[in-house]
Amino acid sequence: MPKISVTIDDKKLDVDVGKTILEVCKENGIEILTMCHLKGLTDVGACRLCLVEIEGVNKLLSACTTKIAANMIIRTKTEKIKRYQRITSELFFAERNHVCSVCVANGKCDLQKLGYKTEMNHIRYPYLFPECNVDTSHPWYVLDHNRCIMCTRCVRACGEVEGAHNWNVMNRGYQVRIISDFDTPWGESVTCTSCGKCVHACPTGAIWPKAIVQGQLEKKPEIIGELVEKRKMNL
Amino acid sequence: MKNNSLPTDVEPAKTDPRIKLITAKIKKENYKPDALIEILHTAQNAYGYLPMNVLKFITKALHLPPSRVYSTVTFYHFFSLKSKGEHTCLVCTGTACYVKGAQLILNEIEKQFSLKPGQVSADNKLGVSVARCIGACGLAPAVVLDEEVHAKVSSEEIVNSINAKIAV
Repeated sequence: MPKISVTIDDKKLDVDVGKTILEVCKENGIEILTMCHLKGLTDVGACRLCLVEIEGVNKLLSACTTKIAANMIIRTKTEKIKRYQRITSELFFAERNHVCSVCVANGKCDLQKLGYKTEMNHIRYPYLFPECNVDTSHPWYVLDHNRCIMCTRCVRACGEVEGAHNWNVMNRGYQVRIISDFDTPWGESVTCTSCGKCVHACPTGAIWPKAIVQGQLEKKPEIIGELVEKRKMNL
Repeated sequence: MKNNSLPTDVEPAKTDPRIKLITAKIKKENYKPDALIEILHTAQNAYGYLPMNVLKFITKALHLPPSRVYSTVTFYHFFSLKSKGEHTCLVCTGTACYVKGAQLILNEIEKQFSLKPGQVSADNKLGVSVARCIGACGLAPAVVLDEEVHAKVSSEEIVNSINAKIAV
């Protein structure tokens, strides 16, 4: 594998070609905040948290969808990026009705952790307070749109790993919602296999198993990546 | 949010000329799933909107996940899940038309037919909508009644034209 040299955060690195900036950073222990990225799924660059500065490029690019190129000088922790990450996380909270204290995922939520990581102490943007439904029609799982951040990890896990294509996104802009089939209740979906991959892929408390209270929730998003790796081995 | 105004699950009749039109289009596109948007266009033109049972018919024919069809339909503003009415009145509210009094036309339509933009009359005869710009600024204020553009209209003229349309 040919190697190229790049500079990330003033550190000179020799890396394989064809990898994304995020992959390279992970291999070299450089922390990058992510939300929509999940190992095993196609990266879409939806959450805008992994934005990095690249010298000579006058806009910020998402590390998960940008391939590394020779002689790139990348910065991941500038003041500008930190400011943007804080804005992004504030907008996540302002967009839906996130109330940690009554959330099943409290303490085990990636969004909550993100808030701590970006040192978010208040939200400077007006809350949208959208009217959101809670879909409890599935016998085992619940989908709460109030807590969804539209990372589409469930959509990709369902389509790419399970192959059921139960989930997708409807409408656009602030009106986007996760849907199953023709916006039918989850329990009436004809495509859902009840495999539960979306439950584990969901970074917040938007999809969770029924009959669970706060503190009991245990999500293992890494199983998606493990599953994909194991399938490759069988080939 | 379930849309209760949608028709029921009845499968569309194979003898329906509109279904024949859609089937012909699907065959012409070789049942390719990527031709979804073209096929939806055909269906929208045939029905004036996309009834739920027709969407199900297309989904089945193309072997697509229902959620993908629904997300495509809701993403593009051209597609509509609700009937736009037998006759449509599209008032341009672009800058030129606005300056020339598009709002007055809308006010008059609301007064005469008690319909706001986006609404359809109870008898499904008339639907009123607005567009940001229809690209006919030289004809301002412009109104599109069904497929024909009415140029430099006054509110009385357009109300008369609408009345002539829905009387038929």
